Amino acid sequence: MKQFWTVLKFELGNYFKNRGFVTATVLIAVIVAAVIIVPTMFMGGTETAKTEETGEAAVLAVADENGIITDREQFAALMPGCSLEFMDSAEAVEEAVESEEAEGGFLITGASSYTYVLQNRTMFEDKQALFEQALSWNYRNAALQEQGIDSTVVESIYAEPMQSEMMILGKDSAQNYWYTYVLIFLLYFMIIFYGQMIAVSVTTEKSNRAIEILVTSVNSNSLIFGKVLAGAISGVVQAGIILGSALFSYQACADAWGHGLDFLFRIPTAVWITFLFFGVMGYLLYAFVFGMVGALVSKTEDISKSSGTIMIIYMASFFIAIYGMMMPDSMLVRVTSFIPFTSSNSMLIRVAMGAVAPWEIVASAVLLGISCILVGMLAAKIFRFGTLMYGNPIKLSTAIKKIREK
Amino acid sequence: MKLEVKNLYKKFGETEILHGISFDVESGKALGLLGRNGAGKTTTIRIIMNVFRANQGEVLLDGKPVEKQQVSIGYLPEERGLYPKKKVGEQIVYLACLRGMKPAQARKNMRRWLERMGVEEYENRKLETLSKGNQQKVQLAQTLVCDPQLIILDEPFSGLDPVNSQILKDVIQEQIQEGKLVVFSSHQMNYVEEFCEEIVLINRGEIVLSGNLRKIKQEFGHNRLVLSLVGRSGEEVQELVRERFSDLAAAVGCRKEQAILQLVQGVDKRRLMAALAEADLDVEQFGNYEPSLGDIFVEKAGDQA
Repeated sequence: MKQFWTVLKFELGNYFKNRGFVTATVLIAVIVAAVIIVPTMFMGGTETAKTEETGEAAVLAVADENGIITDREQFAALMPGCSLEFMDSAEAVEEAVESEEAEGGFLITGASSYTYVLQNRTMFEDKQALFEQALSWNYRNAALQEQGIDSTVVESIYAEPMQSEMMILGKDSAQNYWYTYVLIFLLYFMIIFYGQMIAVSVTTEKSNRAIEILVTSVNSNSLIFGKVLAGAISGVVQAGIILGSALFSYQACADAWGHGLDFLFRIPTAVWITFLFFGVMGYLLYAFVFGMVGALVSKTEDISKSSGTIMIIYMASFFIAIYGMMMPDSMLVRVTSFIPFTSSNSMLIRVAMGAVAPWEIVASAVLLGISCILVGMLAAKIFRFGTLMYGNPIKLSTAIKKIREK
Repeated sequence: MKLEVKNLYKKFGETEILHGISFDVESGKALGLLGRNGAGKTTTIRIIMNVFRANQGEVLLDGKPVEKQQVSIGYLPEERGLYPKKKVGEQIVYLACLRGMKPAQARKNMRRWLERMGVEEYENRKLETLSKGNQQKVQLAQTLVCDPQLIILDEPFSGLDPVNSQILKDVIQEQIQEGKLVVFSSHQMNYVEEFCEEIVLINRGEIVLSGNLRKIKQEFGHNRLVLSLVGRSGEEVQELVRERFSDLAAAVGCRKEQAILQLVQGVDKRRLMAALAEADLDVEQFGNYEPSLGDIFVEKAGDQA
């Protein structure tokens, strides 16, 4: 046990004394805080916002040669954010658009027909829809008046808003989607990034031949557990600092945001607990496998080749999670929430967004915990076996076979 | 303390590397494990260090398996290796702590050994910035930092210049005098001759020679003489002995100007000396043949062996 603490302390030192690690953590935490805090400084009074809006109004040239629009003022009011310039002819409109005096132009050719003139068409074209709405109103208005009906009455009947309330008996997936997404992504980065770091740290000892002294000085369980847990702790600390910075910053200026980011930061305790347990255990499980991968290769450049299978397994788990967020109660998510290599994502989704019984959470947690210990023990054996085998990368199946032979 | 290696067999796949290696050595003595490249020295050492398990046989320290003994072992592996990107002092202290030493004591010992090796100014430098020779000295400081009772050095002299070799020789001598048990492998015979009382010569995974070095030399020199004549080369002396004294001695080899002779059964040194005097030859040197360890090595482990 004493050896384990010595290894853990040394390996933690490797992370926390690493300038790159410290700088990256502080920098990301500061950037995250800045992204949350800085915009609130510009969220002053609404008047300013309005002025800005008026200032940015898009100029649109309109040619109504046949006098189709009955009430130009009312028509313009139906197009907020746009400033309409009525022109005499189609040519004048085209000229205004070409010279970029107007962002676009409309040639009204009949009561229910028009031509939209614009210089270049972009992906996000919203002026046409607005104009069409206004022209349609103009048409209805004229047609109703022709029939002797008061158009304002009809419009008010149509415009009556419906009062509604939603009573959600289960979970609000639409509301929970975003923070679940963020947590799944966070776990994804931690596993991929730290997994590789752990594998590299094991292989480095092998490639610089420090391993022979290590395995003769310390038992391999202390060595691999110390290494993996140091990687895990560093990851959790780094993620904790970044996440903490985000949560703290939002806490401080949630009012300034008008609680507009609650969908990201108001995470229920049950989800936090699930994320902490399943996230950390899932992360450890993968970390042990990455440790094994590190022990089976001799050169750091071989790690990516040998970690292919485990990466595919994790990617599958990740994509199931992305799909699962749309259908949290699907059979696929239910099944994968019990498989140790996928439960860290799937169970989180079920707890955050779907329906799950407490026994299911406990059973999956026990399975994941046991798998973690077993994989840890296997990792220690593989580590002891693999660390002194130099040359070409060894296949995991070959290593397990050899260990059994002994 | 007594280290006993008993009947070790080791296979890698289908190939048997060691075919029954046995020897023993006691505290205050150094045992030289000799052999050509690939003879099985490092495998034997790795089995002693429990890096590998033997397929058969055992390693005992005072009659008990080494792993169960709470004895401090200093090990210098053939594949030298520490952390290139870590500070010298930091990694020596780490490895000492792993072997059960308290951090404060480890730091004290680390400084003492770096000083003894003459590399104390590099304590806070990264290992990779040191020259190869200095890195080797750091490696040796790491081996001895825990004040081990059993010291196992695999090819300790490889890569060292004569000055650094001298420092290492002095250190090993000190350790032997302090009553430590030293086992080291080498194929540099001159170093082995200097401080080994006992040797084990391994060839193709088998012990071909073992025991007290002085006795081995005597046995190898038994009934053998060296003869050199003024103005004649070793080969000429050999030729002359074959022509004129074949009834008394056989010429078995030569070493520079000396011919090595083997007395015929029943003939003694004095008779040959009398015959040489009678033949009126100008004898430059005549005496007992004492083989060098190199000679013994070549004879026992050479291609002809």
